Amino acid sequence: MSLNVHNQLMDDIRHNAAGIVIRDVNLSYGQTHVLKGINLTIEPGEFFAFLGPSGCGKTTLLRLIAGFNIAQTGTVSVGGADVSGLPPWKRDVGMVFQSYALWPHMSVAQNVAFGLEERRIARDEIISRVDQALELVGLRHLKDRKPSQLSGGQQQRVALARTIAIRPKVLLLDEPLSNLDAKMRVQVRRELRELQQELGITTIFVTHDQEEANTICDRIAVMHDGIVQQVGSPMDLYDRPANLFVANFLGTANILPGTLSSDRKLFRLAGGSDIPVAADVLALDKPQLVFRPQNAALADERGQAAEGRTRLAGEVTNSEFLGSSVRYGIRIGGTDVLVDVAHQSGVEPLRPGSRVAVDLDHARALYLNA
Amino acid sequence: MSTHSLAAPQSSASSKPSLATPGQWLTIAGIVGFLGLFLIVPVGMVILVAFKDPNTGAFTLVNFADFLKNPLFLRAFWNSFYVSIMSVVWASVLALPLAYLTTRFDFRGSGVIQTLGIIPLIMPPFAGAVAMQLLFGRNGTINLLLGDWFGVNIPFMEGLNGVIFVQSVHYFPFILINLTASLRNIDRAMEEAAQNLGCSGFRLFRRIVFPLAMPGYVAGASLVFIKVFDDLATPLLLNVKDMLAPQAYLRITSIGLKDPTGYVISVVLIVFSVLSLWVASLATRGRDYATVQRGGGGLSKREMKPRHMIAAYGVIALILFLVLSPHIGLFLLSISTIWSYSPLPDAYTVQHYSRVVMESGQFITNTLLYASLAGLIDVVLGTAIAYLVIRTKIAGRQWLDYLASAAIAVPGVVLGIGYLRAYYGVSLPSGQSVTSFWLIIVIALAVRRLPYALRACMAAMQQISVSLEEAAENLGATKARTIRRIVVPLMTGGIAAGFVTSFATAAVELSATMMLVQNTSDAPLAYGLYVFMQSPAGRGAGAALGIIAVLIVGISTYLSNVIAERDRAAKAGQT
Amino acid sequence: MLNRRTFTYAFALAAAVSTSAFAQAPTGKVTVVTSFSKDVTDPIKKAFEKANPGLVLEVQNRNTNAGVKFVEETRSNNQSDLFWASAPDAFGVLVSKGLLAAYQPKAKGIPERIGRFRVNDVSGKYFGFALSGYGIMWNDRYAKANKLPDPKEWSDLAKPVFHNHVSIASPGRSGTTHLTIEAILQGEGWEKGWGTIKAMAGNFNQIAERSFGVPDAVNSGQVGVGIVIDFFAYSAQGAGFPVKFVYPSISTLVPANVGIISNAPNRAGAEAFVEFLLSPAGQEVLLEPTIRRLPVNSAVYAKAPAGFPNPFKDQRFNSMQDFDTVKSNERTEVVDTLFDQLISFQLEDIKAITRTLHEVDAAIAKKANPAAAKLAGEARALVAAMPISEPEASVDPAIKAAFRGGKDAKTRQAEFEQKWAAFAKENYAKAKTKAEEALKLTR
Repeated sequence: MSLNVHNQLMDDIRHNAAGIVIRDVNLSYGQTHVLKGINLTIEPGEFFAFLGPSGCGKTTLLRLIAGFNIAQTGTVSVGGADVSGLPPWKRDVGMVFQSYALWPHMSVAQNVAFGLEERRIARDEIISRVDQALELVGLRHLKDRKPSQLSGGQQQRVALARTIAIRPKVLLLDEPLSNLDAKMRVQVRRELRELQQELGITTIFVTHDQEEANTICDRIAVMHDGIVQQVGSPMDLYDRPANLFVANFLGTANILPGTLSSDRKLFRLAGGSDIPVAADVLALDKPQLVFRPQNAALADERGQAAEGRTRLAGEVTNSEFLGSSVRYGIRIGGTDVLVDVAHQSGVEPLRPGSRVAVDLDHARALYLNA
Repeated sequence: MSTHSLAAPQSSASSKPSLATPGQWLTIAGIVGFLGLFLIVPVGMVILVAFKDPNTGAFTLVNFADFLKNPLFLRAFWNSFYVSIMSVVWASVLALPLAYLTTRFDFRGSGVIQTLGIIPLIMPPFAGAVAMQLLFGRNGTINLLLGDWFGVNIPFMEGLNGVIFVQSVHYFPFILINLTASLRNIDRAMEEAAQNLGCSGFRLFRRIVFPLAMPGYVAGASLVFIKVFDDLATPLLLNVKDMLAPQAYLRITSIGLKDPTGYVISVVLIVFSVLSLWVASLATRGRDYATVQRGGGGLSKREMKPRHMIAAYGVIALILFLVLSPHIGLFLLSISTIWSYSPLPDAYTVQHYSRVVMESGQFITNTLLYASLAGLIDVVLGTAIAYLVIRTKIAGRQWLDYLASAAIAVPGVVLGIGYLRAYYGVSLPSGQSVTSFWLIIVIALAVRRLPYALRACMAAMQQISVSLEEAAENLGATKARTIRRIVVPLMTGGIAAGFVTSFATAAVELSATMMLVQNTSDAPLAYGLYVFMQSPAGRGAGAALGIIAVLIVGISTYLSNVIAERDRAAKAGQT
Repeated sequence: MLNRRTFTYAFALAAAVSTSAFAQAPTGKVTVVTSFSKDVTDPIKKAFEKANPGLVLEVQNRNTNAGVKFVEETRSNNQSDLFWASAPDAFGVLVSKGLLAAYQPKAKGIPERIGRFRVNDVSGKYFGFALSGYGIMWNDRYAKANKLPDPKEWSDLAKPVFHNHVSIASPGRSGTTHLTIEAILQGEGWEKGWGTIKAMAGNFNQIAERSFGVPDAVNSGQVGVGIVIDFFAYSAQGAGFPVKFVYPSISTLVPANVGIISNAPNRAGAEAFVEFLLSPAGQEVLLEPTIRRLPVNSAVYAKAPAGFPNPFKDQRFNSMQDFDTVKSNERTEVVDTLFDQLISFQLEDIKAITRTLHEVDAAIAKKANPAAAKLAGEARALVAAMPISEPEASVDPAIKAAFRGGKDAKTRQAEFEQKWAAFAKENYAKAKTKAEEALKLTR
């Protein structure tokens, strides 16, 4: 996408950007409770993601905003106006479908013009707006092609152009990268981000891929089992997951079971080591120790840990070379933990069976309920 | 199996797209052989007369010149054209709401509606027009009541308009069946994208749904066009003679006439029908939208607001009443003692049914056997042809399609006479003539109904993404096994539709059967109905036989609909 | 050539078979091609099989013309034993093509003539088993509702009150209607006969494609009046329909026939069927309510229902004319083609002219108008005019060759048809103008 363009369309869209408020939404299909008490506020101009595994309800929620699903309770407001009662065609909420849903019987230009024609805009105006939208995605030269003559990436841009041509208040993207190959995916997600920044349009992005969400979104709602587990910026979610699901779903997490000592000042791991804990852990029923592989360090089994760290002895079971680092699987007591070690050229990795110790920084350890 | 071993050493050659595998060649040879023996040769023997000087027997085109010079035939040609076009228009008006409402909305009883919508096709040619005369005729129920109440008489059944009325009611299921199949195969995201961009209601249908369903619609509409263009029973029963097919029939079957004009008209009918198929294939070229596989969204059924629901049921009830009126009339006739110049019969009785069941049980069993076999032959051939035409790049493959479809343009009488001409002298080992063996009736029915099954199979095949087959081949399945394990199961809906159309229409076919039935004990139901209907006391019994035919085919149709629905549900459940 | 050879062969074979077959009682399947409906064939089949145990009657129902065509098409491997139908013409065609075998029935009690009507054909190859007369059938309810008087003569049907109430089958499609047309032409003469027919045609509501289409429409009340063969009306009465029937004075009685097909697979069975039909038992079956044909054995009439016509006694049949089969056969195709080209395919024009002329007549009846009457007369003459004369229709070699093939064929049938249609079109256009002028004069 060539963002060295600037046209009227971009100004209009920026002007239209609206926030979304979702309140107390419950949705069931028959016996299946798909969305459970959803509350979300998305700011105007924000790039927001619904992230979760398949079946978590994220697409259902997106379709609810677009008007394709009807909730049993709750409201959806766009730009301050309740749209819950409106049919899809009256919502001004632009959606790009996972399959792109380009109509095969229309040319690229006809596809893009469609929504404008539905709005009874004058023919001349439609032509110039179609050009603007296609210019924005850099496909003006392909306007007379049929969708079947385009590559996947081009089709996706046409779908995007078709949606933003109507100057929607909100842009909904349903797994927009899932039909692209890996290289395209990285490129397109960057372009999407750039375009969104340029347009300033409120955008919701549905994905099951945490890397996609992390790289381009301002904030993420992690969903699981029809419930919004946590909302926050990517880094927030990564560093301070609210529960085990979020911790696990966003990146890799080591989870060590244990018990609180009777004086409630120490967390006693299953292997017998004690870690001093802060007061807030006391509120948890069944606390577990959680830490990321990069938040621990390998050390010599025989030495002593520095102040504020606990040293746990174990044995290397496997190693994975990740390029910038090596990830070791280490068995401590009965539990496997992963530890990342920065890789320097020429350094041989430890062999499976080597005795090592893991140094755990108390400040970087999290305690979450099981 | 032997074809596989033959194929192995040539695998490098067979990978070139223009060459067919030996298995494909065998299939082609089989199809061409069947159609050659039972369509080309017999029909050729009959229409050759059109090119012969009636006196010298020399080749000539003078008969065609006579045709073009005769104002009656030109008028007949334009009348046929007009009636066919208008029948397509009205058939579409009847079919579109039924197809759209039942596929796009949560609708109680949509299976029943679909089945009822197909039933008009199941009407023996004689019975339908007789029954509609009783209801809509000059002194039919409606006009007698209108006359009593308002002193008016509406000529529903007079002239060309009467033909259009009867034909559009009779043949609209062709559009319904094909359109429904097409609508079911459109990815719901296609429609949701349009809604999302502000489109709804009728505009959504006109701009997105209908264009995407176009292949199915055109398939159905071209069938309606050709059937109406070639149909002779309905115009003749309504005493409309200045149309092309009735002219051909009158000419060919009148005794003593040495005149070749009837055969000339047959040639014109065949040429024109092939032409309209060609136009239809041009109209759908490059529109083989395999939309359902990419999105994986499947079909979305929307909910309707209560008042819309009531309106929709109203529209459906009205259409169903209209298209089922022949059956309503026939049913009344089958239980009436005397029905003469009165809105309703004088009295009711069940004795016609007992007479039919006592006397004519063999008509029913024969019909079931013949129509099932014909339907079976048709879907096998239809699937094979559809595969060869759509999936291979064999040169001239389109001609298989044209050849098989041309059968639709052959008037049944011509086919019947052709069989007698070509094969009467050929004897079976038992010494019986081939043409008096009941299987010849099955073959005639299969040839006549093959185009229907073929259209359905083609539409189903067009909507299967090639990648699904490629995936199977990639996993080591041969072409033959891919067809059996992937293509055919995915086409189940289309094949079922093709079978039902063939079966249902074959069960009531008369024109070719008329010429070929040699023993009453081998005769199918439509023939028995015709025989009954030729006497005053047989009207009720004939009607009863007609109702039994409708019930048999209706039940079979419903069952196969259930199977297709279950199949669809099973496939949808996996996504 | 083929005809004669087949014929001789068949004749020889038939003679051989017939002498040997009577040694024992015939058995097996007897296949009959017939235009008769199930209502006729079923009672006869039942009675025949009862009278001849061991024989099974296999009925193949086809309309007369299709039946002839069928026998012709299947001659190379004939499986049919008998041809059984009303129209003598069809038998004439079969005889001329050598498709019927000779036979001498043994049944007693059947006269050579009934009144003035010959029962058996002179060829000796087909045999009358019942008589049929032609006439007018009408629906009583329809007539009352539309205030139609009871018709008595053909000319009644040309009256204004019957406009759009009359139906006929196309003679080219219905053997019996062909005979009706031929009877009128023979009774009234070529020119006058066609005049009567066209005057009636001006009142036609429809021209049906098959014989039964007419009684069917009358029975159900779709049209009021039909020109039909008598048993259609009698069997409809037998079934309970509110219909009536009359023989006009210009009519004829024609035998319904049965004939044995050359090279019949079951010759003995075929003969047994012919004998049964002509026996008193077979003749009695004809009186069944669903059949109601006039038997050829006078003794059987003793068992007929009240009001059933008896050609052996009723005087009205004696005033009817003889039917000249030879004349009829000579011009069959020409008459049928003329009917189609001048009437069937121009029906709307004739009806429009007739409607106008009816209005003119009504106006003149109220207030005399000689100028209008003269124009109306001219219009009628134009409608009645024929493109060819009676001798041309029968013997003109060019016409004969065109319709029946042969070396003399210089002009094709299609060309004659076009010529005649053009003739009619032109005359009708002129007649229309004159009729409209006449109507203007009366205003």
